[in-house]
Amino acid sequence: MSLKDLLSPFFVWQRAFEKPYTTLRPTLDRPGAPAYRGFHINITETCVGCGSCQTICQNNAIDMVAVEAYAGRAGDSGLRPRFDYGRCCWCGLCVDICTAASLRMSNEYAWISDDPDSFHFTAGVDDKPWQDNELGYRRAEGYHLNPPKRIEMPMLSAQESLKSFAEVTLGYNEEQAKKEADRCVECGICVATCPAHMDVPDYIHSIRDGDYEKGLQLMYRTNPFPATCGRICTRRCESVCPVGILGEPVAIRWLKRFIVDQVDKKDYQRILEKPIASTGFKVAIIGAGPGGLSAAYYLRQQGHAVTVYEAQATGGGMLRYGVPSYRLPDAELDKDIDHITSIGVEIKYNSRIGKDVMFESLLENYDAVFMSTGLSVPSSMRINGENHARVLSGLQILADVASDRDPGIGKKVAVIGGGNVAMDAARVSRRLGAEVTILYRRRISDMPADEEEIHECQQEGCTIVPQAIPVEIIDADNKQKVCIKWGEAKMVDDPKGGRARPVLQEDKMHTETYDCIISAIGQSSNLDYLSKELQEQLAFEWGKLTPAEYQHTSMKKVFVGGDFANRTADAISAIEDGHHAARGINRFLNPDFYTALEKQEN
Amino acid sequence: MNTVDEILDYAIEQEQLAADFYEDVAQRVETAGMKKILLDFAEEEKRHKKILLAVKTGEHELTPEQEILDLKISDYLVEVKTSENISYQDALIIAMQRERAAYNLYNDMAQKVPDGKLKHILLGLAKEEAKHKLFFEAEYDERVLTDN
Repeated sequence: MSLKDLLSPFFVWQRAFEKPYTTLRPTLDRPGAPAYRGFHINITETCVGCGSCQTICQNNAIDMVAVEAYAGRAGDSGLRPRFDYGRCCWCGLCVDICTAASLRMSNEYAWISDDPDSFHFTAGVDDKPWQDNELGYRRAEGYHLNPPKRIEMPMLSAQESLKSFAEVTLGYNEEQAKKEADRCVECGICVATCPAHMDVPDYIHSIRDGDYEKGLQLMYRTNPFPATCGRICTRRCESVCPVGILGEPVAIRWLKRFIVDQVDKKDYQRILEKPIASTGFKVAIIGAGPGGLSAAYYLRQQGHAVTVYEAQATGGGMLRYGVPSYRLPDAELDKDIDHITSIGVEIKYNSRIGKDVMFESLLENYDAVFMSTGLSVPSSMRINGENHARVLSGLQILADVASDRDPGIGKKVAVIGGGNVAMDAARVSRRLGAEVTILYRRRISDMPADEEEIHECQQEGCTIVPQAIPVEIIDADNKQKVCIKWGEAKMVDDPKGGRARPVLQEDKMHTETYDCIISAIGQSSNLDYLSKELQEQLAFEWGKLTPAEYQHTSMKKVFVGGDFANRTADAISAIEDGHHAARGINRFLNPDFYTALEKQEN
Repeated sequence: MNTVDEILDYAIEQEQLAADFYEDVAQRVETAGMKKILLDFAEEEKRHKKILLAVKTGEHELTPEQEILDLKISDYLVEVKTSENISYQDALIIAMQRERAAYNLYNDMAQKVPDGKLKHILLGLAKEEAKHKLFFEAEYDERVLTDN
């Protein structure tokens, strides 16, 4: 080796003091292209934590993590996506599928850190400089990876539906149901929102798999009225479905109905769970509506002997006598009720508590009592002339029609009210051949009735007159007719932020003559079967009461549920009340078992 | 009643009478829930009385020029008689109609006196009653007229 070779490595050092040819951190000076797919941005206020980004990610680069600020927010899972840039391949599918369009990508691509484990972050939550970046990849406007429109439910035309009381909706076929089921992103936000916590994503998945028996089993875990709810549920689930943020929510109710429609009633016994061995306990239930029968079903499943006392000749309560058959055919309601009785629930029809059987005797002869007698008394308008013979109640008309009696409404009627009973009374009147005007004191958008019902009501030719306040009922010249005086209202905003209030304009009054006036302005409970002392003891206030945990009341053996014990007064809430009470009664009857279980869990 | 003090004394007495009325009905109703509501109404009347006492001592001013929304709900409802088993709806109707009667009384009186302090006080009292009426009518609109 020559001396030069020996010294040459040391000559390299002279370069150390020269200006470098390379630049330090070169990317900092080169911004990404305007639509570059760089680090993620999430608008966390808009995001509902549905997790579609996590599901679609092919590299498992996204984890949904709990973010405290969003815990417990309605219609929100409380989770937000966390990105792992050791896995992300920057494909942008997460942005394309995002149901809320809250996820996007910045054009930032440089993140310098000495710690290789630090390259993950919760977008929008962890502070990063690119969160407000205006550039980067965005989903093109109008582009949806998931179809935004739901599969339309086949229906009878308005003209056709007016000819009879036949069911208006016809149901999906298999192809339609599968297409609609494919729109579900299986986030489960609906499960938390459904009062009965039905396992919606899994039963929708059963449609994709074509396994309808499994779908039915899943539904019966928390709801023994799937045929009914598949038709008339108030579907809070759909109101929070994230697919509905940018498009139409998944038609959860129609998919539920599809599953039930695929399974024959005679197969229910084979498919569904059977009650466990008898416990020897006896439970009495007052009222065979959705609340009472739901409690009956789950109590029977737990091996208790269940007897339901029902004042009417058939079961279903308001589902039978308050929901017309064009929305819920009797056969479908019977499909649900028949399965409940098939597992050994006994229903004593035409048995009115307080008359045929005394409440006190139930307390004496049963180990627990569940009351769910609903709201059956129509509210009164308290205006002059209300007791006129041609002022009829909406509930009575619906009950008459359900029992094949002619309610005698005539050919021109006015319906007062804006709830579902008012809409149904109007639609029934149309089917009976009457010309119908609905008078409602507020705006159409304020109506408590289901939006769909309002729409169908209008389609069927009912005229809705909003901001119309009835002030007096007056005799007509003909005794078979009646006049109503009503005034126009103007809406005044509530300074406290409540709903706008209608204010009567006394200079804009109208008087019109009708064959009858149907009053449907709300209902209250009938507690005649309880003595005043018992009502007091149970702490009823204005015909309603608020139960304690597990639907328990202040009386040791007595549990309650349904419309008179909740604020929402719909079938699905009553069903959950019944299920919840069944769990409560079970704990009440087996206290030692549950105490031991809790000890074990702790 | 010719002086401001006399008018105010009368109004204060009326508020006390109203409180007594609700307490009396509360003694007779059958349910604890209704009893509580009526006692709450009585408390509300006592609160009104306090305001008027403050007006008398000059600590509070009436505001006759203030615009108060009139929902006109009670104007078209049939009268309700007090009984042992009145409902919440009945109780609200009674309350609304009592406030309406008081409003009409002060308003009518104000029309009959010449402009001046007395008229100012009477109109101010009428506005106070209009506020009370709105309180009960808003409650009726919210709780009773739910589907209507």
